[in-house]
Amino acid sequence: MSTMESPTIPAQQTTTEPPRTGGGRRRRGVNREGLEAGKRSTRTILWILLAASLVIYGFPFLYLLFTSFKTPIDTIAVPPTILPKVWTLDNYVNALGRGGVPASFINSIQTAVISTLLSLVLAVPAAYGITRYKTRSGRVFIMAALVTRMVPPVAIGIPLASMMASVGLADTPIALSIAHTTISLPLSIWLMSSFFEAVPQDLEEAATVDGCSRLGALWRVVIPVVSGGIAVTAIFAFLASWNEFLFALLMTAVRSQTTPVVIANFQTQFGLDWGSMTALAAVYSIPVILLTLLLQRKIVAGMTLGAVKG
Amino acid sequence: MSSRKTISRLAAIGSLSTAVILAATACGAGGPATSGGAAGSSINVLVEAGGHAELQPIADQCKKDTGVNVNFVELPYDGLFNRLSSEFSSGSVSFDVAALDSVWLPSFKDALQPIDELFTDEAKKDIFPSLVKEANVDGHFIGMPAWTNAEIVLYRKDLFEDAKNKADFKAKYGYDLAAPKTWQQYQDISAFFTKDGMYGTDVKGGVETEYLAHVLQAGSPMVLDSNNNVVIDNAAHKQALDFYTSLVKDAPAGAAQVDWAAAQNLFNQGKTAMTQFWAHAYRQIPKDSPVYGKVGTAPMIGGSAGVAGVPGPWYLSVPKATKNTDAAKKFVKCAFDHNDLAIQSSLGLAARVSAFQKYQDQPGYESFKPLIETLNAPATATRPATAKWQQIVDTVLVPMLQKAVAGGDSTTLLADAKSKIQALLK
Repeated sequence: MSTMESPTIPAQQTTTEPPRTGGGRRRRGVNREGLEAGKRSTRTILWILLAASLVIYGFPFLYLLFTSFKTPIDTIAVPPTILPKVWTLDNYVNALGRGGVPASFINSIQTAVISTLLSLVLAVPAAYGITRYKTRSGRVFIMAALVTRMVPPVAIGIPLASMMASVGLADTPIALSIAHTTISLPLSIWLMSSFFEAVPQDLEEAATVDGCSRLGALWRVVIPVVSGGIAVTAIFAFLASWNEFLFALLMTAVRSQTTPVVIANFQTQFGLDWGSMTALAAVYSIPVILLTLLLQRKIVAGMTLGAVKG
Repeated sequence: MSSRKTISRLAAIGSLSTAVILAATACGAGGPATSGGAAGSSINVLVEAGGHAELQPIADQCKKDTGVNVNFVELPYDGLFNRLSSEFSSGSVSFDVAALDSVWLPSFKDALQPIDELFTDEAKKDIFPSLVKEANVDGHFIGMPAWTNAEIVLYRKDLFEDAKNKADFKAKYGYDLAAPKTWQQYQDISAFFTKDGMYGTDVKGGVETEYLAHVLQAGSPMVLDSNNNVVIDNAAHKQALDFYTSLVKDAPAGAAQVDWAAAQNLFNQGKTAMTQFWAHAYRQIPKDSPVYGKVGTAPMIGGSAGVAGVPGPWYLSVPKATKNTDAAKKFVKCAFDHNDLAIQSSLGLAARVSAFQKYQDQPGYESFKPLIETLNAPATATRPATAKWQQIVDTVLVPMLQKAVAGGDSTTLLADAKSKIQALLK
């Protein structure tokens, strides 16, 4: 938004040009009008681009949302329609009334929160150590973390499920959280490393001069500075767990099944209940949307952290 | 100021999360503890999501009869096989009974307990012959049928009973318009109704079962003979494939991608006049569908070997690794005893002949007589008992059908399929 409002042509250009003739005032007026017109057209183009991007990104979700209000025959219409012919809430009633749905929501929240916390607790000190001490082992470690991202989850899913069962954690949110942390931790370390890199070392030194210990400087000075980055990392870790399906499929049963598996259960050998599936998916996306809106400012701050270094 | 706030918030989140962790390590929110206890009065039943509806009324009854409480673990079909493979291979299972697709029995036979004692003579008389045969792997019964299905013919009764259509059809083909019984009739009726934006039938290039039913109708075992020789290149397979592809001209475009869901949609939307489809679909036609109340049912069509279908049963099996064998077997027996309760579920399927017969004359269950006739047909047979079956389907049969409906040469495709299947079975 701010990008669109900032003038693309400096205002001084019109004011610094000396008037040479008696028609200068008129020319300035013409120039200003031209600039205003230029700004308007730039703004219009930007708005159009913004609207197009919104449509491209938002259409799948909007289609899902509209489908959740369709009648059964509408959901399978050939050719498909975007808007429901008849609006109904039946799909929401069916989806939310299905056994296990509220429990699956609680399980999803538990799992995602634990996984996010685990990721942050491990990633923040790891990233701090890597960026501040700059040792060879640190570099190897961060590369190794990246390599773990390259292992497909399906390759470790079954062994991980067996391991959890053997330590008595089968079908618990903590087991799934640990599994999800294997996905989000490498990314969290990399993200936090880039955020810590952006914090000038002078800040810590100043804190040390003022009597802070290294940990004190980290806690009182560095972490507040990178709080936006932590928010971004937390969002990514939360989303990775919130939407994860494969590990949840392999590792959960009666006590810890998460909502993505329940959503998938609407596709059965006997057919696909599009309406209920989209209704539950729409409800399931609400907490993530709210969380993103809540942390929006932090996310923007985190995204721009390190953009201006010095 | 804002830093302090952030730190305070982080501390608050940390405290909250710690509390959540402590709570989570104790128990999730799904229900009671998993099986494994000595009491054995509570069991976990692993089931494909669609099958849960079938088993819930039975579980309710069994709790009253036997005291065994059932917790269902629902999983989507595609994930169920992976989950079973994972748990069976680890030797530690989170369930006491599993509802298994018939094609999985050979794959998991070593991990399942024999339940021969439940297959009494009386029980066997009340199960369709092909299912009794399929449940017996290597001399032991390892699964009790919970529900079964088969393709039947669904057709637009309103179109078939229309006076003009009847007259026009008779004038063109020389016999009365009625539900098709033979390949020829199916071809004629499909061609007749392909007009004015409507199609006579669908052709499903994305699934194999219907083609395999035609193979049985042509008088051959499907793909493998009783000695596990690959016979997919015999004359019956070619006849069946040629018949299958002959319908493409009377079906909506894109046959190679049409699967069960697409075919069901087309029929329920009123785009096709006939479909060969699993019998449960009759009771699943949406009330706001243009064809609701206008659909007739008939047994699967017949070829030179007569009527034949491929049953689609699911079996209740008890894993060897369960610690609740007694309770698990009690439930399996109870599920068989009260099999007819499943018919009152939204899907309305059962496994016992007597259960289907009990409902066959009731309104809303018009699909049962054709289903019974199809399942009892002498040429009806279950899929070959090989652990490689799913692989054969996914990597050979479906790709072959997709090429065939796109215009591929049937002889070449079948020969190619034979060599691929032989390689898979080596």
